[in-house]
Amino acid sequence: MTTEYASAVAAVRAMESSLLVQSDIERMTAAGSIEEISDILVSCSRSAVSDKDKLITALETELDQVWSFLHDYAPNHKTLEILLYRNNFHNLKATLKALIMNTDAKRLFIRPSTLDLDALPEIVASKQYDVLPVYMRETAQEAYGILTRTLDGQLTDAVIDRAALEAMQNEANRLKSGFMQKYAQLTTVCADIQTAYRCSQMQKSESFLETAICGSPELDKNSLIREALKGTDALLSWLEGTSYNEAAELISSSSAQFEKWCDDALIALAEEAKLKAFGIEPLAAYYIAKEMEIKNLRILIVCKSCGTSRETIIERMRRLYV
Amino acid sequence: MNSLGLAFAVFGAVCAALFAGIGSAKGVGLVGEAAAGVVSVDPSKFSKVLILQLLPGTQGLYGLLTAILMMSRIGIIGSGAADLTLTQGLMFFAAALPIAIVGLFSGIAQGRAAAAGVGITAKKPDQNGKGIIMAAMVETYAILALLVSILLIYNIQL
Repeated sequence: MTTEYASAVAAVRAMESSLLVQSDIERMTAAGSIEEISDILVSCSRSAVSDKDKLITALETELDQVWSFLHDYAPNHKTLEILLYRNNFHNLKATLKALIMNTDAKRLFIRPSTLDLDALPEIVASKQYDVLPVYMRETAQEAYGILTRTLDGQLTDAVIDRAALEAMQNEANRLKSGFMQKYAQLTTVCADIQTAYRCSQMQKSESFLETAICGSPELDKNSLIREALKGTDALLSWLEGTSYNEAAELISSSSAQFEKWCDDALIALAEEAKLKAFGIEPLAAYYIAKEMEIKNLRILIVCKSCGTSRETIIERMRRLYV
Repeated sequence: MNSLGLAFAVFGAVCAALFAGIGSAKGVGLVGEAAAGVVSVDPSKFSKVLILQLLPGTQGLYGLLTAILMMSRIGIIGSGAADLTLTQGLMFFAAALPIAIVGLFSGIAQGRAAAAGVGITAKKPDQNGKGIIMAAMVETYAILALLVSILLIYNIQL
């Protein structure tokens, strides 16, 4: 019953009032230093940190806290966990690479994650795949095999990335969550377009494309592969005939603009949840909104510390949920 | 046969209190859950969400009022039970149905509307009044049902 989420949705609505608004972002864009950004964040009820790295760490911790809150409040957190599938698979990728390169994986991890990140390196190293979530076991085994056999990091990444997208779609379909199905499909479409474009630029083989592209009801896998094999022009002209023509136009001019388009499309999807009084949608939408807010702040902080112009920063800012 | 008439009338009173009460309990409970969610994040909004939580509670009171009026009319409260025919008993039972059924469903519906209103209060506290008005609109139908039940109770010839 959707009314199970009454308490969680109401709590999320209360938290939404503390999300950054356009005027906050404008003030931070106009700020002259990291310290000034930190001051603005403090005025928006955030913790006081003036060092760039500590600020980024504080933002990551904030997202972690938001996840814990949503996870505790959601009566069915299995549905919500789909939002973290990509983080989980990224962490698997990081673990495998660190294992091969004999480095510490922990600094490469993305949080929040539903995996036990402290134990993950040991789990992968000792091949205890049954400790991993069901949707990751086969991929972990396959990716480990490919990486140790071929040392081909690119192929391993392709296998893991595709598996993450497949797992998201499968779980969203299994749980019959309309919002999550749309989320998984949109994420897949964005990843597939980017992969197909890069592969066509690098003239990758058909078998690599088969491994790397996931496919979705929105963009057919076979058609994408067929057009990508013909070259970037054929791929882009085919995409222009789909509902993703805007994305096709952007990816050919700037990958940063394409990524911004993908993020903005996710926020547009999240905005649908504003009309929902009950259900998982407002919770998922809040997480997406928070993730995007933190991405915006990270872009701002990095750009400010590199002395990037105000115009470029504004151009890169993602759409806000509020 | 006459005792069956009285039994139907009493059953009617029970239905009025029972179903309208269930509707209110479900409605108030739902808004309570939503309100607790808001208060856990922002305790200062307690008084505002409390008003919304009270709204679906009225159906239970209407059911209680109907039951008391009916019990008073048939003499269960006061002068002693009236000697009702089966037809009279069924008429009393039918008189209780509007508030029993409408009370049940409107209590739940008002709870949903008020819980959504809690969301408005949480995000935009200054718009709290609109949430209250929207939830209060559901009340109209409970009042209409109460009116029909009372008119019927007082116009059944004994």
